Amino acid sequence: MNENVIETRDLTVYYGKHRGIKDVNLTVRKGETFGFLGPNGAGKTTTQRVLLDVIRPTSGSATIFGLDCREHGVKLRKHVGYLPGELALYTNMKADQFFEMYEYLRGDNGTKGYWRELARRLDLDTSRKIGNYSRGNKQKVGVVAAFMSRPELLVLDEPTGGLDPLVQQTVMEMVREVKKEGKTVFFSSHILPEVQAVCDRVGIIRDGQLVATERVEDLFAQRLNRLTMIFETMPPPGAFDQSGVTETGRTGQSVSLEVTGNLAKVMTKAAAFGINDIETQNLSLEEIFLAYYGRGNGGANHV
Amino acid sequence: MFRLLLQELKFRRGAIIGWSIGLSMLPSIYVGLYPSFESQLEGFQEILDLPIYQAMGMSFGTFEDWVASTVLSLIPVILSIYAVLDGTGTLAGEEDDGRLEMVVTLPVPRWQIVTVKAIGHGLGLFIILLVAGLASAGVFLSIQDQIIAEIDINSADIILTLLSAWPVVFALGMVSIFLGTFTPRRRIASIIGTVIVLVSYFAGNLAGQVESVENLRYLSLFTYYNATATAFSEGQQAGDVAVLVSVILAAFTLAVVFFNRRNITVGAWPWQRATVS
Repeated sequence: MNENVIETRDLTVYYGKHRGIKDVNLTVRKGETFGFLGPNGAGKTTTQRVLLDVIRPTSGSATIFGLDCREHGVKLRKHVGYLPGELALYTNMKADQFFEMYEYLRGDNGTKGYWRELARRLDLDTSRKIGNYSRGNKQKVGVVAAFMSRPELLVLDEPTGGLDPLVQQTVMEMVREVKKEGKTVFFSSHILPEVQAVCDRVGIIRDGQLVATERVEDLFAQRLNRLTMIFETMPPPGAFDQSGVTETGRTGQSVSLEVTGNLAKVMTKAAAFGINDIETQNLSLEEIFLAYYGRGNGGANHV
Repeated sequence: MFRLLLQELKFRRGAIIGWSIGLSMLPSIYVGLYPSFESQLEGFQEILDLPIYQAMGMSFGTFEDWVASTVLSLIPVILSIYAVLDGTGTLAGEEDDGRLEMVVTLPVPRWQIVTVKAIGHGLGLFIILLVAGLASAGVFLSIQDQIIAEIDINSADIILTLLSAWPVVFALGMVSIFLGTFTPRRRIASIIGTVIVLVSYFAGNLAGQVESVENLRYLSLFTYYNATATAFSEGQQAGDVAVLVSVILAAFTLAVVFFNRRNITVGAWPWQRATVS
């Protein structure tokens, strides 16, 4: 049995002359929670839309459960729950009518009425018209719609966007639960703790190209820190040259460094120049990626 | 499928009710006013003898002529506006505002989506015409005794003749649905659809005035709809209905083909689909 739930080979999408994604080679394994990261316009949504057969690739292939996403789209989508990033709903329907319709269209797979449990959990009043909902409640409708058929694969584009922190936690719990059930989740997010909390692996896409994929624990094991220190005496250029330390800038009496691993090696040297102030910065997963992979100097698939 | 269809009608409920009421008023007023104007209509006949009105088949000679010239000729043109609005709002409008993405990612083939929406659109048009027909028939029954001239039609004839406008308005609506699957945006589809309606109506009538371009009237869909008093007695010509049904089927087929190939959410012409060199 093919253990890769999602597999893309040289997947390329052009919008006319404009690049959407280019030569994306990606695999997401069964039971894995895969975080898909990248700045706006990088190609995250395009990739997800190709998987759901919303748009068709210019070249390359995309498969889910080993079947071509276009040729077997209808069959595949019975087993895929999807939450679009730009969620738009039929505003003149009540939420319960929407879920009943959605349930009917997805076909009976033994999950009839499960949406009620999910709605209760997310504290969503389904008797109201969707048009009267706040953005957060609309997002809850999208989340319930994605989870309600207990699909084998969940494709979620920014699932917690617009939700308050408590509901965000609930949604992440739901992701963890489906993961425990052995189901696969492919989701994009900008929120580092989310990705860190639930993802097994992450992939970063930039300018339409998959820069790298990496296990989350391996990335954080890098312990990358960004420091800015203000000195009494400015250290000469190259003062911090050593393995795992990169000088990223210097202005006036300050020097900025990116340090991988233990900070002691830097602090010992810095102390010799008299440290007036020190500022540390938490790096986003994307920044760790960019630092780790040399800011776009070629892609790498580590796992 | 049936449940989806009901949903499509629910989506249109407000528009159907509004257009039904609005469109019922027009025939009701014209039919209702006939007894008051009956004696004065002969004076208008001279104006209606002008070639342009003759070409449009307008006459006030009898009650049937009056109803045909006012109601039968206007209803399809007015309802065509709704057909274009709703036709381009279906699929194209839903794609523009993002709702279609949730639909096409369900395990439903795209041809089924087009089919259900086309049937929903067609049913909506039928219901509006039926309500307008019923309202007209009701008014006719209430004023029937006040009409001096001999009348050869009954209320059922009025309803059936108004319903006979359905093929022409549905054809224009189906063309609009197809335009929505072909053009990048609903706005462009609406503009093209409106131009088709206007050119069809005016050019169709004007072409009948100039012998050298007379054959151009066959390009107008309104040519295939009999809006004269003979429609009450003879109904629509089978050949004309066949042409309109052919247009409906052709537009539906094209809509299925182009919607099936369409990159939803992208908003591009079919020829803008990129290929890798």
